[in-house]
Amino acid sequence: MEYLIILLQTLLDGIMIGGVYAVLAIGLSLVFGVMHIVNFAHAEFMMIGMFIGWACWHFFGLDPMLGAFIALAVTFCFGMVLQRVLIRPVLGAPQVAQIFLTVGMLFALENAALMIMGAEYRSVTTPYQTQSLTLFSYGSERVLVGMDKLYAFLMALLSGSAVWLFLNKTRFGAAMRATSQDPMAAKLMGVNTDLMYAVAFGLGVGTTAFGGSVVLPYITASPAVGSGYAVLMFTVVVLGGLGSVTGAIIGGIAVGVIQSFSALFMPIQLQNLALFVVFILVLALRPEGIVARRRS
Amino acid sequence: MTRSNTLSIALPALVVLALIIAPLGLDPFGYTLRILCLMLLFCAMGQAWNIVGGLANQISLGHAAYFGIGAYSSTILFGSLGVSPLIGVFVGMFLAAIFALVLSLPTLRLKGHYFALATLAAGEVARVVANSWTSLTGGPVGISVPYRPDAGFWALQFQTVLPNYYLFLGAMILVSLVFWLVQTSAFGYRLRAIKENETAAEVIGVNTYRVKLHASILSAVLTAMLGTLYAQFQFFFDPDTIFGVATISVKMALIVILGGAGRLYGPWVGAAVIIPLEEMANSYLGNSIAGLSQFAYGVLLIVVILLNPRGLISLFESLRDRLKGRQRA
Repeated sequence: MEYLIILLQTLLDGIMIGGVYAVLAIGLSLVFGVMHIVNFAHAEFMMIGMFIGWACWHFFGLDPMLGAFIALAVTFCFGMVLQRVLIRPVLGAPQVAQIFLTVGMLFALENAALMIMGAEYRSVTTPYQTQSLTLFSYGSERVLVGMDKLYAFLMALLSGSAVWLFLNKTRFGAAMRATSQDPMAAKLMGVNTDLMYAVAFGLGVGTTAFGGSVVLPYITASPAVGSGYAVLMFTVVVLGGLGSVTGAIIGGIAVGVIQSFSALFMPIQLQNLALFVVFILVLALRPEGIVARRRS
Repeated sequence: MTRSNTLSIALPALVVLALIIAPLGLDPFGYTLRILCLMLLFCAMGQAWNIVGGLANQISLGHAAYFGIGAYSSTILFGSLGVSPLIGVFVGMFLAAIFALVLSLPTLRLKGHYFALATLAAGEVARVVANSWTSLTGGPVGISVPYRPDAGFWALQFQTVLPNYYLFLGAMILVSLVFWLVQTSAFGYRLRAIKENETAAEVIGVNTYRVKLHASILSAVLTAMLGTLYAQFQFFFDPDTIFGVATISVKMALIVILGGAGRLYGPWVGAAVIIPLEEMANSYLGNSIAGLSQFAYGVLLIVVILLNPRGLISLFESLRDRLKGRQRA
């Protein structure tokens, strides 16, 4: 029974963190799905979201769960501008140009943050950080979930569903999917594809910034935090299939659960190593993703 | 021989001649000479990357792995067993070839973005291993090359920077020569066929997998050799710099792209622009604001891509053509 409790607890921890990975990765997947660009700088928008969430908390006393909406809005606009100025010129360019443009953005954003915010770590204090909810108990053994993780998971679920609904149930979303499938045909049908690209990029980096803000209660913000999550986000997206929102959610939870189980018997460095190796293997064996993309 | 042909041989010969004479007027312990050394080394590194990245358009973001393997192999062998770096360098080259071979199995069939992502992760694998295998590498605190100037050439250590300079110049010429031989051979034509259209290359009978594999191993071996030279020059390094994405992998690629990818003199121009620029930025601004030089580096990359993704050489050429056109008119 004790083992079962440990297993349940590990599974639950994995799902909680995995939900957040999912929302971090949805944006990356969306950008690729619509624009066919791999955004190497994407994890930096998580860092930007964290700093916006932190600033809202520090200056206005706003909870990071609410600050996340401000992070989303600000990063959305910033993303639209970046897309217009930097990404649009390379949309039809060779992949080399696209890769190095976004790699350049990565360095510029990370170090701009370093110049503005300094290298120190910044964290928030919220009343629920130390609280936890007992889901299940057996004798003295309990299955617990930290309230900060639970709130972050619920917010992730909320934003993930919102993006899914937007893409699948609105006219605008349908136009965006049309642009993703065949930009020329979409254009002929009267879709403003330039607008679609800008919105897709804005929304993509916005959701990731949203995810950055909701994890603030248990992950400290610093300019370098993004690079630590970059490979993780790519792993999630590649697992689920680049360009698929549902895939990103399944991939996110899978990575969270794998990570939480490997923590039972592996030191942290080896966990990262295992993640990289899994990533390379998935790329090699199933670059279209474990969850094959559903054709609609 | 046409006029442009004479120029394309005479100009590099003049550059090499200037590079041979240049340090004679400089302080043999001086800062300027050190920068020139780094410039030559990074030029050679860019040239090694150019074999796969430039000719075959396989964008590797993980070449730091080979560089670090070269640096660590010779340093560990020298430090713990007293094996000369002159032997250690070959061990490093061999291990890098093995790593390239193993990495090629899952990655070589990947294209474009996917290849870049996989090689990026491979470089990170090397960094994580070097950071956590403390008993072998010394871990995150880094590793020092034991200082034995009395051992002379056998230890590949010198009293002044001058011998290092000529060593790096030799390495740069060697790697450039290898690149030129590849570029002008049938092997080079096959690599360029892959760049233009991989499926078409396959159809006309190019074994694309084998060609890419050979190019990757050649590039890895040369990069590892330069890693050993770097270790012997710096005397100290740690996993995060030697396996760094920004400090090594992307810099190698940037040097090539800035100058002109797939061109023999691309890395020459790229390194001659970037390294002095970076050193200047570091010495004037680096200490006052943290992150500024890296920020400038990112912006430079963006500007290069947006203004002229084909590199500076093609910019010169189009300028020259325009001038010629005007003369004729």
